[in-house]
This record gives sequence, C-alpha cells and structure tokens, in this order.
Amino acid sequence: MTSNEDQNELLLRYLDGSLDPSDQAMVGDLLRGDAGARAFLRGVAEQAVVVADVERIDRHKPQPAKVVAPEFHPWKWAVAAAAALVFLAAFVIASIPPGHVAKVSAILGPCQYIAADGKVQNEVKAGTVLRVGDTIRTRSSSTWVKLALNDGSVMTIAGRSRLRLLNVDGRRGVQLAYGNLWATVAKQGRVKPVSIQTPTATIETSTAQFDLEVHPTTSILRVNDGFVNVERLADGQTADVAADHQAVISISRNRQFAVIRQPKPVNDWNCHLLAGPGAVIGNWLPSNEKNSVRLGAKPLLIGKKTTIYAANFSVQCSGSPAVLIEDGSKVRVTGNTQTENPIYLGLTTQRIKGGFFGKYIAKVGAEALGQAGETWQVEMPLSQFEPKTEHLPDLPIGMELTDIWVFSPEESAKLEIHRVEFLSKEVGQ
Amino acid sequence: MSLSVLFTVALTEQDILKRLMSQRDRVSAAAWLVVRNAHTAEDIFQNVALKAMTKGTQFESGGALMSWAFITARREGIDWLRRQKNAPVCLDDTILELLEHEWADAAAAQGGIRGQALRDCLEELPAKSRDLLKRRYFDGHACEEVAAQLGAGLDAVYKRLSRLHQSLRTCIETKLTQPAG
Repeated sequence: MTSNEDQNELLLRYLDGSLDPSDQAMVGDLLRGDAGARAFLRGVAEQAVVVADVERIDRHKPQPAKVVAPEFHPWKWAVAAAAALVFLAAFVIASIPPGHVAKVSAILGPCQYIAADGKVQNEVKAGTVLRVGDTIRTRSSSTWVKLALNDGSVMTIAGRSRLRLLNVDGRRGVQLAYGNLWATVAKQGRVKPVSIQTPTATIETSTAQFDLEVHPTTSILRVNDGFVNVERLADGQTADVAADHQAVISISRNRQFAVIRQPKPVNDWNCHLLAGPGAVIGNWLPSNEKNSVRLGAKPLLIGKKTTIYAANFSVQCSGSPAVLIEDGSKVRVTGNTQTENPIYLGLTTQRIKGGFFGKYIAKVGAEALGQAGETWQVEMPLSQFEPKTEHLPDLPIGMELTDIWVFSPEESAKLEIHRVEFLSKEVGQ
Repeated sequence: MSLSVLFTVALTEQDILKRLMSQRDRVSAAAWLVVRNAHTAEDIFQNVALKAMTKGTQFESGGALMSWAFITARREGIDWLRRQKNAPVCLDDTILELLEHEWADAAAAQGGIRGQALRDCLEELPAKSRDLLKRRYFDGHACEEVAAQLGAGLDAVYKRLSRLHQSLRTCIETKLTQPAG
C-alpha cells in the first residue's frame, strides 16, 4: 500500500468515527500540513453529498414501463409455467417485508419511547431504532421527532403526538393515535404501501407527500404530492385524495366525507374559540361576567417532575385555509393569569405544500401582562419569536402556520385564553 | 469616475440564489464534514439559502456571499452536533476554515461543472461500487455496519472505499480536462 493510500484510509476511519484520540490528533496534524490530504477529504465530502443527492433523485424518477412481446413456442409453455411458479414463490417471499423499522434521525424536546415489550424509556436519542410494536410519544407542544424509514421515507411528528409501528397485512403500518404527522413516502422496489391508522381513518399510499392532523374524533389529511387512499372507519366509505386536495375524516357518519381542493392560503387567522374545534388542547371553563369564552390551560406532564400548563390552537382544526407567515405578521392573544409570571407563545410551522419546518417561541414577560387577575392582551410581532432549533432561520417568513400554543410553567398562574389571532402585516408596513 | 465604480452594487435575490445553487454541492459538503450525515447537510444548505434570502443581509460580491455561506453552514453544523448525543468529534476550526478557503477558491474557478462531472462519473460506476457508496453515504451506515451487511472485512471496506473515492477524483479531473463536446 502506498503512503497516500494509508493516509486516505486513515481519513476515512476518522470520518467514520472509529479512531482513538491519539489518531484523531494525528489526522489534525496531517490536515493542517498536507494539501493533498485536504483535497482528498474535500473530495470525499463532495462525493458523499452528491451520492445522497443522486439516490434521492433516482427514488423520485418515474420508472419507465418495459413492453415486452413474448414469442413462445408450444414446447416452451411447460418450462415457462414451471419457471412462473418458481418466480411467483420467490416474489411472494420477497414481497413479505421484513418487520419494517424507523430510525430517529433528529429530535428536539421531551419524548418517550415505549418498546413493544412494554419497556419505557424517557430519554430518546437520535439513532434510536423503532421496530414493529414500538411507540414514540412527543410530549410537549414544542417537541418534534424526525423518523427515517428503511425504505427512504421520512416522517416527522410534532407537538403532542403518539406514533406506533404496526404490521398491517404485510404493509408498512403506522398508527397515529393523536397529533401531527408530516410524511414523505418513497416508493422503492416492491415495497408494500404505507398504511396509517388513526382513530377515524385508514390512510394508504405508495408514494406521496402529505400532512395529517389527528384527534380522537377527527383526522384531517392534506396531500401535497402523489396520491393517498382514505377509508372512513365509521362507515367504510373510501376516497382517493390527489395532490393539492384535502379531506376531513370524522368519526360521525353525519359529517360530510368529501375530498376538496385545498383552499387558497390567507395571511390572517382568528381561532374562533366559540366555534370550538380550533382549540385542540385546553379545558373549557364556564363563562363569567367578564368573558363568555374561556379556555383553561391543560396540565401536560412533559418529563419527570416537569409539568407545563398549555393551550393549543390548530389552524386546520379551526376550518381555516392555510395561513401564510409574512414579514410583519403578529400574534395577538387575550387571556388572564392569576400570578405575575411570564407566559410563552409558540408557533409550529411547516413548508408550504411540504413537510414540517420548525417551532418558534417567544417569552411574554410578567410586565407585559399587567396586574394579576386582570384580562390582558398581548400583541407579539413575529420578529420577537426565536427558533427552537438553532439551524432554523431567525424567522419563519414564507412558511405556513400549523398551530399556536400558549403555556405557563406555573400551575398557580391559572392561565386561561379568551382569544387567539394571527394578524397579517399592517398596510404600509 | 462613474458612480458605478464608486458604489458597489449588492447582489440581487436572483443573483444570490443562482450563486448558491451553483455551489450547492460544496456548501453541503462543507456542512457534511461537520455533521457526517448527507441528509442533515442538505437541510443545512437549504437553511443557509433561506437565511441568505430572508435575513436582509446584503452581499457585495459572489465571494462575500460564498464566504458567508461556508461560515453559516459550519456554524449550523456545529449547533446541530451540540444537540446530538454520541455526535462525531468535529474537526478543529482552523482546519475547517482552511478547507472552506480552498473550496471557495475552487468554486470561483470551476462553478458548477465539477458537480456535473462527479454525477457523470457516478453514473459510470459499476453497480457494486455504487451500492457501497449508497450504503455508506445515503443510508448513513458506518463502515463496520456496511462490512457486516456485505459479509466483508472492515479493512477491506475501508480499502474499497478509499480506492473508489480516489478513482472518482481521477475521473472528475479527466472529465474536466477533456474538451467540451
């Protein structure tokens, strides 16, 4: 082996993370002093990202249909039949997927992993592998987990969500008991479709990009790319949802089950608390002399000995079209707290017609809330929100609003919310 | 002296995007060197592009933009590493700067043609070689896992990968020196 080959292998071992500290120091010295070693390393890095890019593109290429005109002679039929039987058997065996797995590729915030055998793990790390029967729960409004399936599909769950891997009739099964899921399902070879079970629907697709919001009595599906088949469990009705369309799948047969084109996005949103469905986390409180609509924050245990008191408001559940976030947008919240403690406002955002984007949070200091017990109104400009993940851009301009959440870490604050609005930039701003 | 000589004109959004897209492989590669995960590196590149377009920062030249892009990608990569447990050890900042500097110089000279040459070379690889690269860099398996999957020895996998990378480099250089057409 030449000296260069030794160096190159050393660098590959370094990139692989398999060197001990003294060899790592040697790599540092090598890279500082040897332009050739640096050129090799740059080459490896470029090749690594381009290999991944080429694979990604290949997976999204339509497969050309092959037309074959067979010319069988009679004596060949017997051989062909035998071969077909062998092929069929091989196909059936090959089509039975090995228990599919999902690897946690990124994670933020408190999560819980419940293995199929019942073992519970309250700390989940990137790299954790979920197998059939395993469950992952994201436990707080600000949490998200990105999962990479072994076929190249990607799923992200966020907020309060619970996802379990299932084996559904040999399909790559997933159960979303509640919460939000963004999925890009890739088709690779003869892999079976993905089947997602919710409390109200079964959703199947071979290749699609879609998002799904699930509550005990409703599932809302929006398809941005590809094609998804939906079955309403209440009555067995099925429908195909194509790109740019959406469907609301209710537990009630009296609610219409229709696939409609996604309405044009808007720039402002009022959660319409009176109408109810937009508030997805919280406890309704009786009206009092000051406020007819009062949503109390709900205690959420987000980890060992850590509870927050939160209310959450979903754009989709409120029946609104998608809400676009623009420079100069504001969040206005009206509510009440019984102590002089800060509260926090959060935004969940997603890419327009795409996947999950990220979470943003803003602190509202006690001084902005005025006297304890008095109704306050907070108007928080978008510029005051900070990304929960550091590699996010400072502001989610151009993204879509998924939900707004408000929470207090203090039970004694008795946080209650009366109104939640997302305001577009002012004219002339 | 004309006014255009006295005042430097900032790059337009279109210029920024065009320039960043032409150097996408390099910026992503710089991020990859930090995070060692091609999908995260791609996410970082997208964030860098988004920041360049939305932060209101003005870039007076392509060089200034690329210098900012490499630094931002590195910082985002380091931030990402901090959030990971069992993250790989990151190269020293001075080495990363040296590599970025060399990348920026090469970028100015070659634009996006190097990336296309690499893609052409990948197309020409035998299926087995491409499969090895896919397992290591697209699926993100460590060499030890790849060795187990292929039923090969770990040393043999390092050797094959090393030769594969070297042959791709040679292929790229050959393509770049060939006359067009």
